Amino acid sequence: MLLPSFEYERPDTIEEAVLLLSTNRNARVLAGGQTLLNALKLRIVRPDVLVDVSRIPELHAIERTADGSLAIGAATTYDEIAGSQVVRDMHPVVASMTSRIVDRQVRARGTIGGNVCLADPTSNFPPLLVALGARLRVRAAQAREVDAEAFFFAPYMTAVREGELLETVVLPPLRADEGLGYESLQVGTDSWALARACAVVRCNGTISEARVALGCGPVPVRQPSVEQALIGCEPTAEAIGAAAALAGDGFDPPADVHASAEFRVQMAKAMARRAVLAAVQGRS
Amino acid sequence: MSTQAPIRTWAPPAPVEKSVGQSIPRKEDGRLLKGQGMFADDVWMHRMGYVHFVRSPHAHAAILDVDVSKALQVDGVHATLTGEEVRRLTDRYPQIAPEPGGRLKDYCLAVGKVRFAGEPVAAVMAETRELARDAAGLVDVEYAPLPVVTDATEAATDGAPILHTEIGSNVGWNGLYDFGDVDWALEHSDHVVRIPHLHFHRFSSTPLECNAAVVNWDAGTGVIRIESNNQMPQFAALFIAPALGVRTDQLQFNSQDIGGAFGLKLTNYTNITALALLSRKANRPAKWTEYRSEHLVGSCHGNERTFRDIEVPVMADGQILGFKVKVYDDVGAYMRYEPLGGVIFSQVLPGCYRFQHLQVDYHTVLTNKTPIGPNRGYSRLQHLWLVERIVDIAATQLGLDPVAVRRRNYVKADEFPYETPNGCLYDSGDYEASLDRALELIDYEGWRERQRAAAGSGKRIGIGIGSTLDSGTNNFGQARLINKNLPYSGNGEAAICKLDLQGEISVALGSVPQGQGHETTTAQVVADALGVTPDEVWVQAGADSARNSYTAFSGTYASQFAVTGIGAALGAARQVREDIVAVAACVLECAPEEVLVVGGIASVGGDEERALTFAEIANLVHANVGALPPDVADAVTLNRRFVYRPPFGVPDWRTKSGHLTLTYASQIHVCVVEIDDETGVTTVLDYAIVDECGTPINPQIIEGQVHGAAAHGIAAVLQETLEYDEAGQLLNGTFWDYHVLTCPDTPMFKTDNLPRPSPFTPTGSKGMGEGGGGPLHAVCSALQDALGPTVVVTDSHNPIERVWRLLHAPSPADRGGATVESR
Amino acid sequence: MGDSAHPITVTVNGERHERVVMGRQLLVHFLRETLGLRGTHIGCDSGNCGACTVICDGKAIKSCMQLAVQADGREVETVEGLAGPADPPTRLQAAFTRHHGVQCGYCTPGFLMSATALLQERPSLSREEIRRGLKGNVCRCTGYVNIVLAVEDAAQGGERP
Repeated sequence: MLLPSFEYERPDTIEEAVLLLSTNRNARVLAGGQTLLNALKLRIVRPDVLVDVSRIPELHAIERTADGSLAIGAATTYDEIAGSQVVRDMHPVVASMTSRIVDRQVRARGTIGGNVCLADPTSNFPPLLVALGARLRVRAAQAREVDAEAFFFAPYMTAVREGELLETVVLPPLRADEGLGYESLQVGTDSWALARACAVVRCNGTISEARVALGCGPVPVRQPSVEQALIGCEPTAEAIGAAAALAGDGFDPPADVHASAEFRVQMAKAMARRAVLAAVQGRS
Repeated sequence: MSTQAPIRTWAPPAPVEKSVGQSIPRKEDGRLLKGQGMFADDVWMHRMGYVHFVRSPHAHAAILDVDVSKALQVDGVHATLTGEEVRRLTDRYPQIAPEPGGRLKDYCLAVGKVRFAGEPVAAVMAETRELARDAAGLVDVEYAPLPVVTDATEAATDGAPILHTEIGSNVGWNGLYDFGDVDWALEHSDHVVRIPHLHFHRFSSTPLECNAAVVNWDAGTGVIRIESNNQMPQFAALFIAPALGVRTDQLQFNSQDIGGAFGLKLTNYTNITALALLSRKANRPAKWTEYRSEHLVGSCHGNERTFRDIEVPVMADGQILGFKVKVYDDVGAYMRYEPLGGVIFSQVLPGCYRFQHLQVDYHTVLTNKTPIGPNRGYSRLQHLWLVERIVDIAATQLGLDPVAVRRRNYVKADEFPYETPNGCLYDSGDYEASLDRALELIDYEGWRERQRAAAGSGKRIGIGIGSTLDSGTNNFGQARLINKNLPYSGNGEAAICKLDLQGEISVALGSVPQGQGHETTTAQVVADALGVTPDEVWVQAGADSARNSYTAFSGTYASQFAVTGIGAALGAARQVREDIVAVAACVLECAPEEVLVVGGIASVGGDEERALTFAEIANLVHANVGALPPDVADAVTLNRRFVYRPPFGVPDWRTKSGHLTLTYASQIHVCVVEIDDETGVTTVLDYAIVDECGTPINPQIIEGQVHGAAAHGIAAVLQETLEYDEAGQLLNGTFWDYHVLTCPDTPMFKTDNLPRPSPFTPTGSKGMGEGGGGPLHAVCSALQDALGPTVVVTDSHNPIERVWRLLHAPSPADRGGATVESR
Repeated sequence: MGDSAHPITVTVNGERHERVVMGRQLLVHFLRETLGLRGTHIGCDSGNCGACTVICDGKAIKSCMQLAVQADGREVETVEGLAGPADPPTRLQAAFTRHHGVQCGYCTPGFLMSATALLQERPSLSREEIRRGLKGNVCRCTGYVNIVLAVEDAAQGGERP
């Protein structure tokens, strides 16, 4: 319940933030703090410096980019995302999913960047980003873009290196014949997830493209077996069910007090089925 | 005094409407809603130091060395405390168990050995909380790990690692309850249902406020002032005083508001003892506030109970003759309040049913896990779950209608007061009428239709019944059934009622409320006794043992306040009324029977000329006493202490029987669940509870208790559990991993109350706060109903994966969960 | 590794406070111990129970999941700001009493602040929206039923709850 000691800094700009992160060896980014503060209470992490980026305006921007993507600043809160008309127009499923993260108090402060950089197996955004093929803009002295599939290395380990700051999450738009489905198996309403799947499906009479990612594993993983089985199918319940039954590629979920690995694998298939179905049904 | 009847402008005091039975708003709310309550962590004492406990990471280990030197070097650290000091400075706590279990050595810090992960090993006191925490991290403890045992049935066998070598085994107590002739019944019944194994899981009510205390051992007076949230201070005193070697009245306990307790704040006497020693050592008050993760691993849990080799004789017409069972109760690493669980369950030995042939072979077993405390429903909850599973499984296996089976076997309304085979007296009730009402509330037939319609849809519906009792007002003589040498029997609660200097009505209770509304219900009862409104009755907030009066049984626990606390307050109020009448009769020169006490005025039949206000009466007794005749002045005090004593004798330890509890509130639960076939997710669709707790004092308060108990039950059966690995590590020791039930997942319970006044209590009311764990019984029954007879619900905890496995991958134990032998 | 000290200015219940806080001090400890506002409670150590909920710049937040220094320049409302000891209760507080939504009172301040923020943002709510909206606050005494009824009752009036 009590934090270890650290130095606290609150830079006003991204440049200042990056300078602080790169000149202090054991520095951490503080955005919403809705998971970092717990880690500090439990003394799982002991940074020397906390760099509070939560009030840097550029990190809260939500905009439609020139190429039609949705760019969301890393320190944008869940409330800001869920309440944004731009997000609702471009990615209603993302707005809806974000409006159901944990509870109102967390949504007032928790940020997309915090969720993505925490990269806990149960984090909400990582499988979504992989399924959508999102890009993540990381700032050091320069900015670089990392594809979502190359962003998550292991639980709590991402492509953001020491001295760097996640700046923007860029979601590609959905095409007119594409739908996005996001399904979770949770212990209670809006609560801890045991299994999670996200699917982007393009369908015009038959399915022509599919991207399916599983969450609740060490890292989010694409499901090529499922995707390939879907292509060319009519979007019937049977076909989708048969394809989803193949889910499990590269999926090695943990066994812990909440569920066994075997159950998580079975539930991944169920969530994959539901996510694909939702994606197909949700096309505009 | 004129007896003419002139025109009057003064009207005789109108009768005040009776308050008992009305849902008046609570007196406690005013301060609590405004954040002006005083909880233990809100207490501040000048110069106080903050305490942090160093806790064992090992579940079982010898302590080789405790080095506090680095901690003591830190500027701002006041003092440290180690197990070695505790061993020298205190005596071990008294034990309830007889030999050999009673040889167990228990202290406020681990001495020589740790026996559960999270056990406190040392303590550091410092200027700030942060400093205490940081300095505690500098304490070096050297351990030599020992083999760990976490399963009670394993721990009870020869060859298991032994926690307390003084005992020689891990069986802290065992006893056989044997009534009727169950072997005869098993020989002669039409069917025998055999259930090899049932398991009631470990969980906790987790009050939102954790344990906390500020303790000051005054160097001048020797008074140990304890500002804490302990819920039964006199029980704590009976452990702390002998340990510290102090007088009972050196221990002054005070609490005002307690943030829930549910039985889990009885055993914090261990922490209080350590704080007292630190306070004396550092000559300053010692403050400690438990973290949630500390609470989950370091305070206490509810009993985990394994039932083996259950055999149930059933007749063709559905009459169940009784049952036979072997019980292994896992009480964790120390017996504190245990092994009382080994007799307390027998208050409800046959549950709601007329079983005559009962055999329970009970073992209290120690394991390397957090010690048990009397968690809401203590020990009866586990047993009532067993009984309901037996009835439910027997019905399922034999294809009997679950409603009909209960009707067939319930104790009947005209059989009350009903004596059970082990001599307990169920005072009143009507389980069948309660069941009928619950089925009506839920539209049982409608749900049966919807259940049929849902077949094959991918979601299946189950309807379950849970019948449960809340036995209240213990006869503490039942402790002798555990240990015949214990000098305890009966029960009693004290209260003081007075008219203060200006005639104000004031009451001080012996109870220690934690949200049950004692100030309010007491005011209602006292107001009726004195002919005033509850607004005119001041009930002291909280519990102060220096100000209030108490007995050895004082406190708030075990569903008894509506009997014992109210009985004491009522008795004291009636004595004050007698004093009022005596003064009035004397001054107004009338017979006592002519005195009318209404609206704060004592008068002769409402006559304005012959009346005295309470203020005038108080003045005469307190400040104007020369104006009273000496015999009246000697007889009245307007300050009355009353001890309510239920009519208990001493139970018979030889036969393990007797009048163990005074009242038996009941709750009949009916619930409807929907299971998602694909995932095993269980959703409660509808839920009805009919409770019976005698004469209601405040119906809204009763209903609130019913809701709260039901929420705890739903939480436990569907998502709350405390799980350990084989190394004795608690795997889900924070609220991140211990999934507390939240608002959107708690049903909007449909409730009704069917009162059947108790013939044994002062107001006809019964204690009812614990509830009896109805949802554990009802939801398991509903799952069983949804799953059918080919698998058996054998565990009280049925989270998503467990239900999924029962549906899709039942183990041989699930499938063989019950067998039937028919003649 | 040291502690940093930071001067902050924070308005609490309409009153401006200028203080120096340690970087690692949590907002809930600042409120309770530095400012002596003990109505906000601590029920867990992982941000899961909501007992510490206050309103910060119009939004309900968990004050144990926020550093005191992060409240610099912000407006915070605690339960003491709803109604003073001598004031009449707010409509929401009165509804809690009417429906017996308080038992031990430990979760109550957190619920009041959550519900106040909820009703300010969405004065008209369905029962399901209320139930979901109160997800972040744990109660172990009431079973939530009466709390939901109280918030529903308070929502009828439309103005500040």
